[in-house]
Amino acid sequence: MLFVLGEGLSGLLKSRLSGLMAVITIAVSSILIGIFLIITANLSYLVENLRGRVELEVFLDDSFNEEKIETLSTQIRAIHGVQTLTFISKETAVLAYRDLFKEQKDDYFDALGYNPLPASFRVTLKESYRTSTGADSVFNSISSLADINEDDVVYRREFLVLMERYIRIAITIDFLVGSIVCLSALLLVSNNIRLIIISKRRAIETMKLVGATRFLIRMPLYIQGTLQGLIGGLLATVFLYGLLKLSAIEIAGLISVNWQIYILLITLGVLLGVTGSFSAIRRYL
Amino acid sequence: MVKICKASLKYASGDGLDRISLEVRSGEFVYLVGPTGAGKSSVLKMIYMDALPSEGYVTVGGYDSRDISDNEIPFVRRKIGIVFQDFKLLEDRDVFENVAFALRVTGARRKDIKRKTLRALGEVSLPHKSRKMPHELSGGEQQRVAIARAIVNDPFILLADEPTGNLDPKTTIQIMNILDRLSTRGTAILMATHNYELVNSSVKRVVSIKNGTTLN
Repeated sequence: MLFVLGEGLSGLLKSRLSGLMAVITIAVSSILIGIFLIITANLSYLVENLRGRVELEVFLDDSFNEEKIETLSTQIRAIHGVQTLTFISKETAVLAYRDLFKEQKDDYFDALGYNPLPASFRVTLKESYRTSTGADSVFNSISSLADINEDDVVYRREFLVLMERYIRIAITIDFLVGSIVCLSALLLVSNNIRLIIISKRRAIETMKLVGATRFLIRMPLYIQGTLQGLIGGLLATVFLYGLLKLSAIEIAGLISVNWQIYILLITLGVLLGVTGSFSAIRRYL
Repeated sequence: MVKICKASLKYASGDGLDRISLEVRSGEFVYLVGPTGAGKSSVLKMIYMDALPSEGYVTVGGYDSRDISDNEIPFVRRKIGIVFQDFKLLEDRDVFENVAFALRVTGARRKDIKRKTLRALGEVSLPHKSRKMPHELSGGEQQRVAIARAIVNDPFILLADEPTGNLDPKTTIQIMNILDRLSTRGTAILMATHNYELVNSSVKRVVSIKNGTTLN
């Protein structure tokens, strides 16, 4: 085992230019994939955040008494897809309105002499219903209740449909770019190990002639590939960390970079090294 | 010890060996002679199981070509020493490491590696050049290193494929003397060559091969 480890290490040190190329290839690939992952993670976060804001408002007629409101509340809560229901009384609505338009000096309610704002239910949706079709189904269920008119239920349907269209386009681009980057990285690493195998052909031939087992011949190459992957992953981590800190790209709440991304990058580097070696060794050795 | 029995070998080019038989016993020195392309190297390849016969069989130190698995082939080769015309030394390692390499792949202990490597280098009179790199040595010295690597595992047979092909007459005599000495100590030698002058000057057993078909 010591011999195998030693061969792997010395292979890495002796490979110099080709080894350096492999490390750089893995580092650049990992950086690209890292950026892609950050974009994906933030896109998902953004989508979830926007979807979480989707809610329906059910306006209640002023003639509804407390008992009727309670009955409606129970009926709406029982609808599939409803997560929470909050009752907004007429008085609370006024407070909210005043809070929203506090910079206006005139108070319309004083001028009117009565409160024109209706009481309402604010309905949030379960995660799986935070789509235009999910929201539609809840909308239809609420509208079909006795005492509720279709006009009394409102939600930002156009916004949801538009958001879904852009999300689909973004995810498709994201997926395509990610796949191309991953595939290119794998091909580059595999090709690099192939060059290493070609440069070591004589040593490998000699190893076979003196009775080295398949394990002894292949393992140093796996170790070399893994070490190159590890170094490449570490370089990518350092580079990406520095880049993000220097450019202060982390805008609170929107673009966030989790520390797990760095662990993922190192793991990714190692995986690229191992997979690249594996595919090249299988094909060329 | 080594037995080839009615073995045939077919290459895609149409060349190969046809029902060849040969036996080499302990300590025997055998010349395998024939023109270039006659199939001498193919015979050696069958012995170190780099090519398995399509018909007939080869037995080497208890292993049989008919039922040997891929995993067992390295263990056959550890019982055989192999020397080539082009030496096949590792250019990135010094003389000591080239010889020790054959022991390291067998998982030998560090203490044994040093002792056996120095002993093998002693056999070819090169212990003083153990830290030289291959490119710093003459052709004859490089072949001696290759012989040291081939014998460091105490093989029962040494296969030599045109070992003097790249060497001048004086160096050829040096190499032959080393092989002779190994043979008298009990290591069988099977040497493929097309140097008839060298063969005719000795009294050893000669097996000739022609077009991969005739062996006598």
